[in-house]
Amino acid sequence: MSRHTISVTVNGSAEYVDVPSNMTLLQMLREKLALTGTKNGCEAGECGACTVLLDGEPVNACMVLAVEVDGREVTTVEGLAHDGQLDVVQQAFVEEGGVQCGFCTPGMLISAHSLLDRNPHPTEEEIRQALVGNLCRCTGYTRIVRAVQKAARGRV
Amino acid sequence: MKYTAKPLPKVELPELRQVGKPLRRVDALGKTTGTTVYSGDFTMPNMLHAKVFRSREPSARIKRLDVSRARALPGVVCVLTAADLPDARLVTDMPGQTGQKRRAGSDAPVLASDVVRFAGEPIALIAAETLAVAEQALDLVEIEYEPLPGVFDPLAALQPGAPVVHEPDNVVARWKIRKGDVKAGFAVADVVVENTFRVPFIDHAYIEPESGVAWMDGQDVINIRVCTQVVEHFRSIARAVGVPHNKIHIQGTLLGGGFGGKEDITVEIFLALLAKHTRRPVRLEYTREESILAHSKRHPFIITHRTGVKRNGRITAAEIKMVSDSGAYLYLSPYVLLYATIAASGPYRVDHLKVDSVSAATNNPFTSAFRGFGAAQAAVAYEQQMDEIAKVLGLDPLEVRCVNYLKTGDRNATGQEIKSAVWLEEAATRALEALGEKTPAPSDAVKIGQGFASYLQSYGRITWFHDTSRAWVGLELDGSVVIRCGVPDLGAGQINSLCQIAAEVLGVGLDDVTIYSTDSALTPLAGTTTATRQLYMSGNAVFHAAGAVRESLLERASKHFEEPPDGLDLAEGRVFVKDDPEQSLPLSELAAMCAAGGLPLANLYLFKAPFTSTLDPEGLQGDVFPDFTFGAHAVEVAVDTETGEITLLKSVGCHDVGRAINPAAVVGQIQGGSAQGLGYALMEEVIVEEGIIRTPSLAEYLIPTAMDLPVTQAIILESGSGVGPFGAKGIGEPSLTPAAPAVANAVADALGVRIPDLPLTPDKVLAALDRAAGREAVGAAACETDDDGSEA
Amino acid sequence: MLPEFNLLTPQTLAEALDMLAESAPDAVPLAGGTNLIVDLRDRRQCPAVLVNVAELAELRGIRQENGHVVMGGGTTIAEMLNDPLIAQHAPVLQDAARIFANPLVRHRATVAGNLVYGSPAANTPPPLLVLDAEVELASQAGVRRVPLDDFLVGVRETACRPAELLTAVRWPTPAQHSAAAFRKVGLRKSDAIAVLNVAVRVTQRADGVCEQTRIALGSVAPRVIRARAAEESLLGQPLTETAIAEAARLAAEATRCISDIRGSADYRRRVTEVLVRRLLTQVAGEVK
Repeated sequence: MSRHTISVTVNGSAEYVDVPSNMTLLQMLREKLALTGTKNGCEAGECGACTVLLDGEPVNACMVLAVEVDGREVTTVEGLAHDGQLDVVQQAFVEEGGVQCGFCTPGMLISAHSLLDRNPHPTEEEIRQALVGNLCRCTGYTRIVRAVQKAARGRV
Repeated sequence: MKYTAKPLPKVELPELRQVGKPLRRVDALGKTTGTTVYSGDFTMPNMLHAKVFRSREPSARIKRLDVSRARALPGVVCVLTAADLPDARLVTDMPGQTGQKRRAGSDAPVLASDVVRFAGEPIALIAAETLAVAEQALDLVEIEYEPLPGVFDPLAALQPGAPVVHEPDNVVARWKIRKGDVKAGFAVADVVVENTFRVPFIDHAYIEPESGVAWMDGQDVINIRVCTQVVEHFRSIARAVGVPHNKIHIQGTLLGGGFGGKEDITVEIFLALLAKHTRRPVRLEYTREESILAHSKRHPFIITHRTGVKRNGRITAAEIKMVSDSGAYLYLSPYVLLYATIAASGPYRVDHLKVDSVSAATNNPFTSAFRGFGAAQAAVAYEQQMDEIAKVLGLDPLEVRCVNYLKTGDRNATGQEIKSAVWLEEAATRALEALGEKTPAPSDAVKIGQGFASYLQSYGRITWFHDTSRAWVGLELDGSVVIRCGVPDLGAGQINSLCQIAAEVLGVGLDDVTIYSTDSALTPLAGTTTATRQLYMSGNAVFHAAGAVRESLLERASKHFEEPPDGLDLAEGRVFVKDDPEQSLPLSELAAMCAAGGLPLANLYLFKAPFTSTLDPEGLQGDVFPDFTFGAHAVEVAVDTETGEITLLKSVGCHDVGRAINPAAVVGQIQGGSAQGLGYALMEEVIVEEGIIRTPSLAEYLIPTAMDLPVTQAIILESGSGVGPFGAKGIGEPSLTPAAPAVANAVADALGVRIPDLPLTPDKVLAALDRAAGREAVGAAACETDDDGSEA
Repeated sequence: MLPEFNLLTPQTLAEALDMLAESAPDAVPLAGGTNLIVDLRDRRQCPAVLVNVAELAELRGIRQENGHVVMGGGTTIAEMLNDPLIAQHAPVLQDAARIFANPLVRHRATVAGNLVYGSPAANTPPPLLVLDAEVELASQAGVRRVPLDDFLVGVRETACRPAELLTAVRWPTPAQHSAAAFRKVGLRKSDAIAVLNVAVRVTQRADGVCEQTRIALGSVAPRVIRARAAEESLLGQPLTETAIAEAARLAAEATRCISDIRGSADYRRRVTEVLVRRLLTQVAGEVK
């Protein structure tokens, strides 16, 4: 099996990581970089708990080989807050009760963040469409949608 | 039909400082920054990785099991089979709590030895240096099966001559309710309505699959970090592993959802065995597919209602039969069936009632707890039956219910007097009012329907289980507060509520409270996070423990201010004289005074639910539960009559929660619980064919996405009449229960024909319309009765 | 975990084709990975070599060329969804892309992967079939073009040969008086495997007479199929209610449905008729 040394920017930090060819980005984040905020819920691209930004686009980290992110930028939930200050989306999730068990939350936050970057004033329908790949079993999504709406208002 | 909310009885609830406020949850920050550590996030130095070898056959004799090649694989450290574990069983019973003698042998063995009874049954455990090696070793386990006849349908399992899953027969449990004189009740009925309803297997589908890490420490204690709803399983784990109770230490983590699926033991015994045998840390994490294969499912039920009614809708008698599929092993099937049996007639006064229920063993996946615990299945049936009764009588569904709703002081199915407020009509009319007028249909092919469901659901465990919870509350010298309580938090806000209660009682802010929870050795045992019991049980334990600390503080302050203790109060981290708030001290100074005087700054409180005795099994008459929650859910649907597709348009849940400790968390429960009920109604089904799961992953087992659910409006009513702290009732399970039957009723309203089996798939919608076009009633039979009650 | 394999990352298409040829038949191209990674994990495929073609410039881009729209095989579903050229000339493809799995998958999944996988339930083949698309297949031996209708063979079976790469999809820029529509039925509103899906395209003369019709049906046969008898029944006819109903009936007759966990054969056949009727009615209105 081939091994590869890759260079990748994760949450703004340059990382050089030695990875086997069959390692997924999810495994690399959790096992090589100890970034366990990105969750493993299905390893099949069905639940979205492992959503990260790859060059600014939300993807399932379980569906990407680590080797493929060589030379690219990855943002995880750990990269959303800056200087101890919650990102506006995180803040809205906290305030609106968008968080229950919290296991889908990191992926939800990334998808929501990406949506607002592309579409600062989404309709409720657009929010729901953007979050379709992120399953939540606790909230029924109502508070999550509200949180994204609130974040959109807060971003101005 | 336009509905108007029934005015609420006047209730004066005291204004509180912390309780009743939608405060930011104590666990929210860690969960949004990714810093909260879940059980799957733990690793240990020198850790091994485990895998479980499972049966592919649903019913077979193991002719040959050879793990020698797996053992020989470099990197494999340990392989265990049943041969290594003499008679280790996964006993889910608790001593002195069940009141029912369990049948020998029907508890699951930890590992199958000679026979496998369901596809997915564990057979061997592997621990290896890497996960890759452990997976390779799985492929090297050699097994030969001799297929045995299996039974895959609970009705077939109860027939003479059916293959027997556990000797002597497939009856796992039976319950019966005998109340009043059913024959006399039917004799005075004007009409008898009979229907049969079915509900499928469903999966909890928490986003966090089961996982854990175990290691042995210097005292030979096996420590297990795991996501579980029940840290008290340490006893069963100790028994299965063969060590004393005090050598198993569960360090529970915050859960990524539970819903009953992490109520039974999952990975714990496997981890403990491997840690004990290897004396190294071991990690085990299920894949999603293994999670679906390995943990319990919600019981499928077949429920038949035969109801006698007067023309005005009044129920004169009911005869209800229930059959549930227990799957291959016992687990909590008898209790799920008991809950279903007691809830069978719903929130209605039925003076003449006969319920017969039976749970059958099959070679299907085993079934156990799932939010709603049998009472949810019962509601799917009784609420559809109420709508069918209304239809037969030509009455409005609300009208039929109002005639029959229980009232405070009435007795339920087991003759237990309902002592708390019963705001059934208040809840139903509010839910319906909020639903509003029907949305106009966008085309002729689309029909709009509205429906609702009422319910009663117990909170707190069966009172003959003699349930207890403990909590320790203490004030630190700087005025900050510590709670120690073994409660597992599933994500619903269990620990937050306890913090809010302690903050209220001790007059501090929520940020001043820290809770240590979910540890079987270091936090006082609080019992299971199941049965909608934690707010009631541990909430009361915290309330009283904090109350004792408060009393001690006020007693000392009373001397300082020369005021009687009831002339003092605690707020904002200070003690003050009520009539002269300028006279005050920070809690830190008061704590220092207490400490100097050797006065207690902490209290360990043991809260006990009412203790009752088991009931006469011949009729089950007497008290069974501490109290009940009541409410309603209403929905509007659009049904495409040509494609069978159903779209949820509106959803409203209205529940009397007694007192909302944290209203934001209550709203979250109502919205989230009902979402599971909506999925139950429309799309969720673990499809099992000849014992094999055909929906093995989240690509086939569908749960609602953000596109499938509308906004659920949550209406909170507060009667203040519950037995929880500050008059709270439980809402965890009740939030789910009425949602599925509400959808079924809305779809029946849209189509004019009922689909008696969940889930309501497009296929079934078209089939039902076909049957209706053929002028055939679906599973329904109504008949006029003569005066003697015989069917005309 | 994923099984072991060697991963090769070519810099050019030629290099990629050499790598595939060298390791054939044990080499598999990796693009979006949304099918392949799951297959690897479940051991449904165990290739010795993966050739990462995701970044190859030759497989990317959407352009117009000699009256055709040419879309690189490496185009992701998300790119297709946001592309102005596709919006202008093949909005039906965007209708299919919009409910393709979920946004996370759409950012990875490619059109080539969706076609090569040969799933009868795939979203892009019905709209591409009604657009008369061809696929370009490149190998060391050169490039060949195959009509999509010939490319699709059976369940997970296509005309793609070992060491061949689907480099592009192309179709004639549709005539002005042409309109197309797509509809999928799944067991939930999004992110669901199709119970069935249907695409239609109709070109009408100014007087409303139908010059050309395409009807493609997914998940109702071992491969995505064209309902030719239904198409032909409309030729030279105005799209009246009766004509549409007859075409819908013929389309349903063309199906070879099976029953599975998502729906019965009877349901699929029946709803095929409904969807074909609705989509033809919809486009009949749109063309004018």
